Parts: sequence; C-alpha cells; structure tokens
Amino acid sequence: MAEVLITVRLAAPATLEEAMRRLGLAEDEVDTAYGLVPVDPGRNLYVLRVAEEAGRRVGDSGTGTADGGPYSDPPIEPYGPPR
Amino acid sequence: MRVLIQLRPSPDLVAAVADPSVPSMASDVADGLPGVVLDHSYAPVAVPRPMPASPGGDPLSLNQPLVFSMAPQDASVVVRGEIADDEVTSRVALLPAARRDVVAVYADPAIETTLTCGGDPAVGDWHDVERLLRVPDLTAEGLDGSGVPLAVIDTGINAAYVKSARGHDVTVDHERSWNPQSVSGTPGDFPVDHGTMCAFDALIAAPKASLVDVPVLLSRRQGGSTLDGLLSDAIAAYAHLREVLDAQPAESRALVVTNSWGSFSPRWDFPPGHPGNYSDNPAHPFNLIVGSLAEAGADILFAAGNCGTQCRDSRCAYPDRPIVGANSHPRALSIGGIDTTGTRVGYSSQGPGRLAARKPDVCAYTHFAGSGALGDGEPDSGTSAACPVAAGLVAAVRSRWPSTVLPPAQLRTLLRRTADDRSAVGYDHDYGYGVVDAAGIIAALRRRAAKAA
Repeated sequence: MAEVLITVRLAAPATLEEAMRRLGLAEDEVDTAYGLVPVDPGRNLYVLRVAEEAGRRVGDSGTGTADGGPYSDPPIEPYGPPR
Repeated sequence: MRVLIQLRPSPDLVAAVADPSVPSMASDVADGLPGVVLDHSYAPVAVPRPMPASPGGDPLSLNQPLVFSMAPQDASVVVRGEIADDEVTSRVALLPAARRDVVAVYADPAIETTLTCGGDPAVGDWHDVERLLRVPDLTAEGLDGSGVPLAVIDTGINAAYVKSARGHDVTVDHERSWNPQSVSGTPGDFPVDHGTMCAFDALIAAPKASLVDVPVLLSRRQGGSTLDGLLSDAIAAYAHLREVLDAQPAESRALVVTNSWGSFSPRWDFPPGHPGNYSDNPAHPFNLIVGSLAEAGADILFAAGNCGTQCRDSRCAYPDRPIVGANSHPRALSIGGIDTTGTRVGYSSQGPGRLAARKPDVCAYTHFAGSGALGDGEPDSGTSAACPVAAGLVAAVRSRWPSTVLPPAQLRTLLRRTADDRSAVGYDHDYGYGVVDAAGIIAALRRRAAKAA
C-alpha cells in the first residue's frame, strides 16, 4: 500500500485515536505502528502516515480536515560510496 | 563564477594590447566594471575578429571559410574576472548596457583532469584529516566533544569496529539512541556499514563525543533495497531527538545531528509546485521538523550529495539542482566534499540548493583512508564522509559552547565566516563559503570569550 503523510493540529497531549477521529480515518487507513508524531510542539503540529487514498480524501485537496497534505514520503538512501 | 569579458575599447588601446612589446594590464582596459572583480594577474588578450572569406558568409560558421583580422578597428580584448554566483544572471544582462565597450560575458570553466572521483584510491588518511582539522589545537582548547551527544542518522553503528579502527574507546549513548519501529537491534551493535564509517569520521575531531545511534536507513519498505528507509522514519527520529534536546539542562544544551543521506530521485516525490512535494517545499513535514529542531538548539548537518557534474553518482536522477529538500535547508549546514589536498572531489554536488540557494554552505574532507567500513582498502568517501567530519568539528565546539550560549544560527554563521574561501568573491556553488577552518574557529571563539569576559 503506497502511503503518504498528512499533518494535523491538536492540543497537546494528543493521541492517534483523537487524530483519527478528527480526520475521519479508519484504522486500516492509518499506519498505527508509526503513530502520531509531533513535528513542532510549539505549534501543536503532528504528522500521520496514511494510505494514499485516505490522504487524498482528508488532505488539503480533499475535505480539508487535515492541516496539510498529502505529502510525499520518498525513500532515502546513504550518500556513499559514490557509484 | 569566473568569467571572461570581451570588450571593444578604442583602436589605440586594442593596438597596445596586441603589441607584445607594450605591457598592458586588465585595469587599462576594463577598470570599473560594476559587479566584477577583475583578475589583475591575467594580462588582457587581443582576440581577432572572424570574417567570412567571401561576401555574405557567416562570420561565426564552423564550416565556412573564414579569415581573422587583428586590425585595431576589428579586434577585441578579453579580460578575466569573477562575478558573485548569485548575481551572474543580472550582471551578465546589465554589463553591456552599463558599459558600451562590453561585447559579451562568457563562462571560464576550470580545466581540471585530476578531480577525485568515486572508485579512485584514497587521497591521504584520517591522520591527515586530524592534522588539517588541527585536532591537537582543539583538544588544547578543551574542544574534544566531551559530553556532547552526536546523533548519527544512518545505517547503525558498530562501536566495537570503530573502537578497533581508532584504537580508542568509543561512547555510545544507549539511552538517547533510537530505532524506527521496523528495526530491531542494540545501539552500537549493528553490522559494519555506512553508519559505522560516519561514526568513525565524526570522532576524528570530537573523540570524546557520545554517539547517539539512530539507524533510520535500516527501516524496510516494500520493494526497497537493504539500505534505505523512508523520510517518515526520519521525521519520527527527529521527533525523538527533540525530546532528547528538551530534556537537557539549558546550561549544557547541545545536540549535533549528522545526516549523510538524501533522496536521489524525483520519482517518488510529488513534482515541484505541488503542495505535497518534498524536494522544493519548506512546508513538507520533514523540512518543518528540521527547522523546528534547529530552532530548539540542535546543530543539523546534511551531506550535499554526490551528484557533482564532473563524476556524478549513477543514482542521481534530478536533472539539475541536485541539493534537494533538507539537504538544502536554510537552518542546516550543507556539506560539500574536498580531498586532503584541499581540492573539491568531482562528485560533490554543486549549488544552488532548492530550499536555500546558497548551498553547499562549506566543504570538509572526504575520500581518505579511514575506517575501512566500506570494505578493505576502500576510502571513507562521498559527501557521506565529509558531513560527519564537519559534524565532529561542530561537536568539538559544543563541548565548551552550549547552544544556549552560542545558538545554532550563530554557529552556522561562524563556520561560514571562518571558512577558507576558495574564490575571489566569497561564496561560490562549488565550495560554498570555503573549507572548514578549525584555526579560524578557535580564534573566533577566543575573541568571543574575551568579549564576554
């Protein structure tokens, strides 16, 4: 399942369940092992990893219940040795 | 950027330049060109005018017969100078308008055949790097990394290997280390690989730093290779590092984060301009958390990448501006690579960066015989090695200068300001502000301490 990232603003201390409720996400649409990760505690901003379809639905371009997204989650690799 | 400027001064002046018995200087021909630092060591050169051999021909044709006129009313003169990298476009456009005798401005690329590339043997060893980083002088100042957590975001560290390769004890901070959800293993006890090289290289300048092992690149994704992760794992790692930083007392707050990784291809990203894009988008969650962690007091360093024009890594898939995403973050240091002779390695990515144009920031040493973690006889290479070398220098500074006294933004400025500049006009997109200079850093810190006393 391709996954994307979405952000949500919640008052601390926030939980994944609260985020899912706010965004209207089902459990099978969310990477629950990844959880709800704080991006900027000062701005109450959190990120979730969700299925691409769900990300489109709740992200900026969908219903807009998320703060932002869907954002890409590209692979990252070591920069060495040069090949 | 070094440029050649073609001018058509008065015929008398052209005749003087063309006459080998008459000494002439660049300033005789081209003094006062706005935005150009003239190279006075380069004597002006008279250039003949190409003319078609028969009427109606094309004077710039490579196929038609031409004659060349050195007559003073035909010939022109070329001088050499430098224009600041971020002013090239505007200066090149404005110069002919500002000075009627300016005919054209051309690039003057370096003609180099000996740049170090991937697969080349090591250039010097890690003791040379120690010497170049003036490690004894740093140690004498009490700048050895003592008490400073140095997070290696990579493939995991094998501390026993690093200890054996260095011949000294290595400290791994188990409590502050962190694994992504899909990675099991003990901090400091991962297989010898890229992350072990980074740890070794970071300890060159900061032998007493405490390594924080964060093996993000061991996380698995479907269809991925054995050594890659997802950017979301790096976000989770940075969230953990924020907790580490916030838990420290203000008087000793320090956290250095070295990142020798990045995204090679736009294939998995939304295109630039899309609101979900990573490479060019400061609002992407990873770029946000990098900025947030730096503002909270962390020093964050990213490798510039191995997509330099002279010998780019075969994985490089960005058609231009290969320093992307957080590797070009304005609140991080982007580190290019030089060998121990002080010459940029041909694979070190050149700027401008995508989030901030002035990337790389500075260069540090790479391609030397070091850890051997990449294989017997293999140099510690890539901007992957340069980044932790620079991170070690930052960690050394932090042993006496916590982030509450010297905020990360000021430390970044200090590194840029003291760097050994490699061009005549300051910043350039090959070396950035220059090569990290430990002597300059020590002197600047002494001045700062004296001022504060």
